[in-house]
Amino acid sequence: VSAAPGGSVEAGGSIEVGTASPRAWLVGPRRRLGGARRDPLRWMSFASCALAAAFLAGLLGLLLVQSLPVWRHEGIAGYLLGGRWFYRADTFGVLPMIYGTAVVSAVALVLAVPLGVGAAVFASEVLPPRPRLALKTAVELLAGVPSVVYGLLGVLLLRPWIYRLLRPFDPLSGDTLLTGGVLLAVMVLPTVTTFSEDALRGVPAAQRRAARGLGLSRAATALRVVLPQALPGLVAAILLALGRALGETIAVFLVIGRRDNQLPEHWLSAEPLVRSTHAGQTLTTKLGGSETFLAWGDPLHWAAIAGLGLVLLALVGGVTMVGAVLVRRSGGKGGFHAARR
Amino acid sequence: MSTRNAMNRLGPLLTIGFALTLVACGGGSGSGDKMAADPSGSGTADGSAVLRVNGSTTVNPVVTKAAEILHAERGMNITVDTQGGSSGGIAALGEGRVEVAMSSRPVIGHDHTTYPKVDFRPVRIGADAVALAVNKDVWDGGVHALSRQQTQAIYEGKVDNWSAVGGPDEPIVFYDKEPGRGTWEVFAHWAYGNPDDAPLVSHLEIGSNEEGRTKVSSTPGAITQLSFAWTDRKTVFPLAVVTDEGQTVAPTPATVADGSYPISRQLLVITDGAPSPAAKELIDFLLSPRGQQVVRDAGYVPLAAEKGVAATGETAAAGTGAAAASAPAAGS
Repeated sequence: VSAAPGGSVEAGGSIEVGTASPRAWLVGPRRRLGGARRDPLRWMSFASCALAAAFLAGLLGLLLVQSLPVWRHEGIAGYLLGGRWFYRADTFGVLPMIYGTAVVSAVALVLAVPLGVGAAVFASEVLPPRPRLALKTAVELLAGVPSVVYGLLGVLLLRPWIYRLLRPFDPLSGDTLLTGGVLLAVMVLPTVTTFSEDALRGVPAAQRRAARGLGLSRAATALRVVLPQALPGLVAAILLALGRALGETIAVFLVIGRRDNQLPEHWLSAEPLVRSTHAGQTLTTKLGGSETFLAWGDPLHWAAIAGLGLVLLALVGGVTMVGAVLVRRSGGKGGFHAARR
Repeated sequence: MSTRNAMNRLGPLLTIGFALTLVACGGGSGSGDKMAADPSGSGTADGSAVLRVNGSTTVNPVVTKAAEILHAERGMNITVDTQGGSSGGIAALGEGRVEVAMSSRPVIGHDHTTYPKVDFRPVRIGADAVALAVNKDVWDGGVHALSRQQTQAIYEGKVDNWSAVGGPDEPIVFYDKEPGRGTWEVFAHWAYGNPDDAPLVSHLEIGSNEEGRTKVSSTPGAITQLSFAWTDRKTVFPLAVVTDEGQTVAPTPATVADGSYPISRQLLVITDGAPSPAAKELIDFLLSPRGQQVVRDAGYVPLAAEKGVAATGETAAAGTGAAAASAPAAGS
């Protein structure tokens, strides 16, 4: 965008540059950008925004292009629904990893949601403001603990504990999908708690006063009045927790066993949870393993790994988007910051 | 003021332009030999010559580290490359493209027929050994050795209880080293002759040596392939190997160093005839206590048992009998 010399003289003539000179011409454009129509805040923030969007688009495009060979080799259904992954035989099927991801995340939510929502109800409906804030701070600190720390605790404490717990089922070791799920439950608990609490606090106090005024007990107020109104926010909290569970890598990596090609005989069988012969692999633990480094240089193998990234991105992205929409619909108190490392 | 402002603004542009010009010129003139400092390439120990090394990726970390130390302390210029692995290194040496080859396999007849005029002189700098490490209860249950056939049967899942190989009635939990690890390659070489021939099986997987030791020591009935240096005989126990000839060989620094323990490979550096002064300086360093410490730091077995170099805790503790007598140090 070039400015006309006349205009620049006019703009530059205000403070230090008194005459129409080449120097004024150099200074001119910058002055004009300072005007109201080209507010620097506006175009700089637009640039940041565009850059962020470009990153996402670039990431998707890159993964898509890089994974093309495997889609051609296996076919879309063959890759997504294939049950066998042997890179030395050029066989790539992702289903066992999708299955592992689903089971681990489901276990995490089943354990974390009742606890997290329960804690949120207590904090929001029972606790006076000061302890509530202390509790909330503590829970949010918990969300900031690096996941590798959780992983170490998982190896040291959870694996042996699960092993003893499952003794009656004759487990091989403490490396099971259940172990990964329980560990994830601990990790997503802060996310569930803090976002649920935000959703509950978002329900106007007048509603509570009205309910109590009508003679409802505290419990009835919480369960019948506050919870239903906060429901979209609660669902959003759960979805955000799910997003974190899907993407979590290193902690799960350390306790899940990382056994390839494990699918249950029956889809609803509980066996994979309790037998480490049925320990599994999630999308993230596969990506976090050594194959990612091995694959570089072999276009097909690399494409298969890039495909894992694409599937994972689609899963997490989809869940996060639904969660974000629900948060917005529920009033969006507390903003949208997934508690990640 | 404004003039200077303008210059300041132009400054970076000028600099970038200048740098680009330099890069362009450099690209043009440097298109020949990258290591133009010494076109002859013949090694002399005066510090300015370039010593060229090529070969095995297994040996590479040791020699690269040694090259860094020698460059920092004595100003030696050593280029280390890994094109073609062990065979690539031997070929490069045979064709006179390098002064030193790195190899994790011995020089074989084929090399001599391909390069009849070359006097291959291998020097052993250490060994890479893999133990079949088991949980304490397996060891206490009476399993102290496995043959190759037994190991294959376990690896392929045909045998899934320790009682089948003389141990307690307890399921076998096989933790497989993840693919791409040198440890796995050594194991597959021994068990199946060639990693490409190893069966397509899916076991519980482990990555680092730390993880392997932790999981095997905490899981009853567990076995894994573990880098030899990590078997401490307190939490995890290295099994002996019954060779195809029927001999039982336990992994000790001595049996690893002399090559009688089969799940191992020698780490070699090879010269053509007597080494040049620079090559000799490198090899002497690799054989010195400090060089052997580099070998140990890279996770390999130094020549401690053979050369009388002081052994540190891990290696010594892993040995049996006389080799273990040297006092464990807190070193590594």
